[in-house]
Amino acid sequence: MMSGAVDGGAPAVETVGIGKNYGPVQALKSVDLKIASGEYFVLLGPSGGGKTTLLRLIGGFIRPTSGKVMLNGQDVSHLPPDKRSTSMVFQSYALFPHMNVEQNVGYGLKLRKRPRDEIAAEVEAMLELVGLSGYGERRTFELSGGQQQRVQLARALILRSDILLLDEPLAALDAQLRKDMCVELKHLQEKVGITFIHVTHNQEEAMAVADRIAVVASGELVETAGVREIYERPARRFTAGFVGERIIFDGVLRSVSDGVANVSVDGRMIAATAGDGASSAIGKPVSVSVRSECLKLFGEAPQASEAGWQHLEGFYVESTYLGLTTRHTVRLASGREIGVRTVGGDEAVGPFARDAAVHVAWQAHDAMVHTA
Amino acid sequence: MQDDYTSPWVIRFGWIYLLAIVAALMVPVFYNFYISFNEYGFGAANYKATFDWYITVFEDRLLVNAFVWTLGLAVMTVLIVIPMGLSAAKLFKQLTNKVWLVALMLLPLFVPADIFASALLVFFKNLNGMFTWLSEMTGLGFLSTWFELGVTTAVIGLVVYTLPYVFIVILITMGRYHPEQTEAARSCGATAWQAFWQVEFPQIRAGIFSACAFVVILTFNEYTRTSMLKGGFDTFTTVLVSQMLNTGMSEQSYAMGGIVSAVAIVIIGSIIIITLVQQEQMARRERAVAEPGSGQ
Repeated sequence: MMSGAVDGGAPAVETVGIGKNYGPVQALKSVDLKIASGEYFVLLGPSGGGKTTLLRLIGGFIRPTSGKVMLNGQDVSHLPPDKRSTSMVFQSYALFPHMNVEQNVGYGLKLRKRPRDEIAAEVEAMLELVGLSGYGERRTFELSGGQQQRVQLARALILRSDILLLDEPLAALDAQLRKDMCVELKHLQEKVGITFIHVTHNQEEAMAVADRIAVVASGELVETAGVREIYERPARRFTAGFVGERIIFDGVLRSVSDGVANVSVDGRMIAATAGDGASSAIGKPVSVSVRSECLKLFGEAPQASEAGWQHLEGFYVESTYLGLTTRHTVRLASGREIGVRTVGGDEAVGPFARDAAVHVAWQAHDAMVHTA
Repeated sequence: MQDDYTSPWVIRFGWIYLLAIVAALMVPVFYNFYISFNEYGFGAANYKATFDWYITVFEDRLLVNAFVWTLGLAVMTVLIVIPMGLSAAKLFKQLTNKVWLVALMLLPLFVPADIFASALLVFFKNLNGMFTWLSEMTGLGFLSTWFELGVTTAVIGLVVYTLPYVFIVILITMGRYHPEQTEAARSCGATAWQAFWQVEFPQIRAGIFSACAFVVILTFNEYTRTSMLKGGFDTFTTVLVSQMLNTGMSEQSYAMGGIVSAVAIVIIGSIIIITLVQQEQMARRERAVAEPGSGQ
C-alpha cells in the first residue's frame, strides 16, 4: 500500500517495498511509505505489528530483506546507523550510565571531534531547550524517567540530523507525565522543524503529536492519513477497530447511491457513508463501523420522519461510570453486547432498568462502510 | 513470637556456615604463608619468623624460570582467549537459539583433565607428523616445527581449557548491559568499534578483568594439560609437583607460593569489591528507570 502526502521535492523518508523476515517469520511485508520533510509522523499499531521493525529499518539498525530506504532522495539501505542522517530516541535504558548528563548529550559532538568549548556551549543550549538547564553534572540514575527521556532527546537533537526517530519514547512514563511530554514533544518538533517519526501503540499519544498517522499491524501498513481522518473516517476495518472505540457490524453491501451505502446487517438494512470504490463491492461482505460516542440510546424507536436515524433493538445491561464518560452496555437482539458512550453519568440517557428494551441509534453519516 | 523468618539465628548460622567454608578453603593457603615465614622450613620442630625465603626466592633459578614461563603462557592465553570469550558472549546475546552455542562452549568442562590432555597430545603428535611430512614435501622447513610440543601446543591446550570459564564470566557481566546503548551510540555517529570501546566496554570491564585474572590463576594452577603439552620447559606447577615428589618443596617454593597466593587474593578481592560497587550502582540506575521520580 502506497501512502504519502509529500508536496514537491524528495521526501525526507521513503521506503520502497521494504520488508524484513526473521527466518520464516515475516516481520514486515513490502511497505511503501513517504514522509515529508518537517512532518511529525506517527507509526501506530498493536505490539508485534512491525512498527518498530519499520523504524529500525529506517534508522539502519537492521538490514531489510527486500526493498530499500531512501533518505532525502538517497538510497541508504546499505548504510549503518552512524552514516545516516537520522538520530534516535529509545524507549529506555539507552543513556550511557558511566557518563554524566553533559557527557551523554555531548557524546555525538565529541565523536565529530568538535572543540571542547563548542561542545560545552551546544550542550548547555540543548539542555535549556529540553528544560534541563543546570543538570549537566548529574549522573543519569539521579534523574527521573521523564528527565532521562529529555536527556535522550537533547543527545539526539544536538546532532542536528534531518530525521529524529522515536521508539516508544514515552512508554516507560506514567500517564500524566506522558501527556505532558506529548505536548512538549510537539512543541519541540515545531521549534526545531525537523522530521519526527514516532512509534507508539498508544492512540491518544499518537493523536496528540501527529501530523499524520500510519497504522501498522501484522507486518503491513494498514492505512496512512491525517489524525482527524484516521479517527473519524478510517478507510480500513482494522483501523476502525483499533483507533478509538467503534462498534463494527458485518454485513453485505446491497447498493450505493449518492455516497450512501445500504448494507444488510442481521436482516436489517443500514445506511452508512460509502467510501471511495465502495460501489465495486456491491454484493460482497463489508463492515459498517460507528464511533461509540455517536451512538444514542432511546427507549422508543426514533421516528421514521427523523431523517438519517439508523437503529437496532436491544436490551440494556449495565452502565460503567468512567469519569468523563459513562459506558452503557447493550445486548443486541443477536446476543452481541456493544458499548454506548455518553458524556457524564447515567442522567445523560435513561436511566434504564436492567433488561429494559432500548434502541441503539446513530446518524447515517456517522457510520462508515469498510470494504477491506 | 519469633518464627523461621525473624529468628536472628537463621542469619547467624548462615554466616557461620559461610565463614566455615571460606576458612576450610583458605586454611591451606594461610598454612603455606605460615611455613614460608619459618626460618627452619617445612616440618621443623621450631618456628622462627623470617623474610629470608622471600628475599632469596629469586635466587632459585629453576623456580624463577618456571614462574616466567608460566606467566608468559598466562599472558599469551589471556590475549587469545579473552577476545574469543567476548565474541562468543556477544554472539550469545544476539542469537535466538542459544542452546547450541552454550553446549559447544561448555563442552570442554565435561571432559576429565587427563583424557582431555591425552587427546590433545595424540592430536598434536599426529598433526606434527603431518606438518613434518608437508614440510619435507614442500621444502618449507618452518612448517615442521609448527606443532611440535612447546609453547604453541601448551597455549592451545590452555585456551581450550579456559574458554568456557571466560565465556561464563563475561556473559554474567554482559547480562546487565542493555544493547540499546550500543544502538544509541551508533545513532550518535559512533562506529561499531567506538560503540564497543566507549560505551559497552566501560560497563563490562569488571567481567573482562575478572576473566583475565581467572585465566592467569587457572594457568598457574594447571598441571595435567600443561605438563603433557609443554614440551621442554617447566612451569610453576610442574616444578612444585616435581619437587614435592622427589626432594620435597624448597623453602623458596613456599615463599613463591605465598607471593602468588597474595597476588591472587589481592586481584580477586579487588575485583569482587569493584564488582559489588558497580552492581550497586547499576541496580540504582535500573531502579531509577523502573520507578521514575515525580519530577519531569
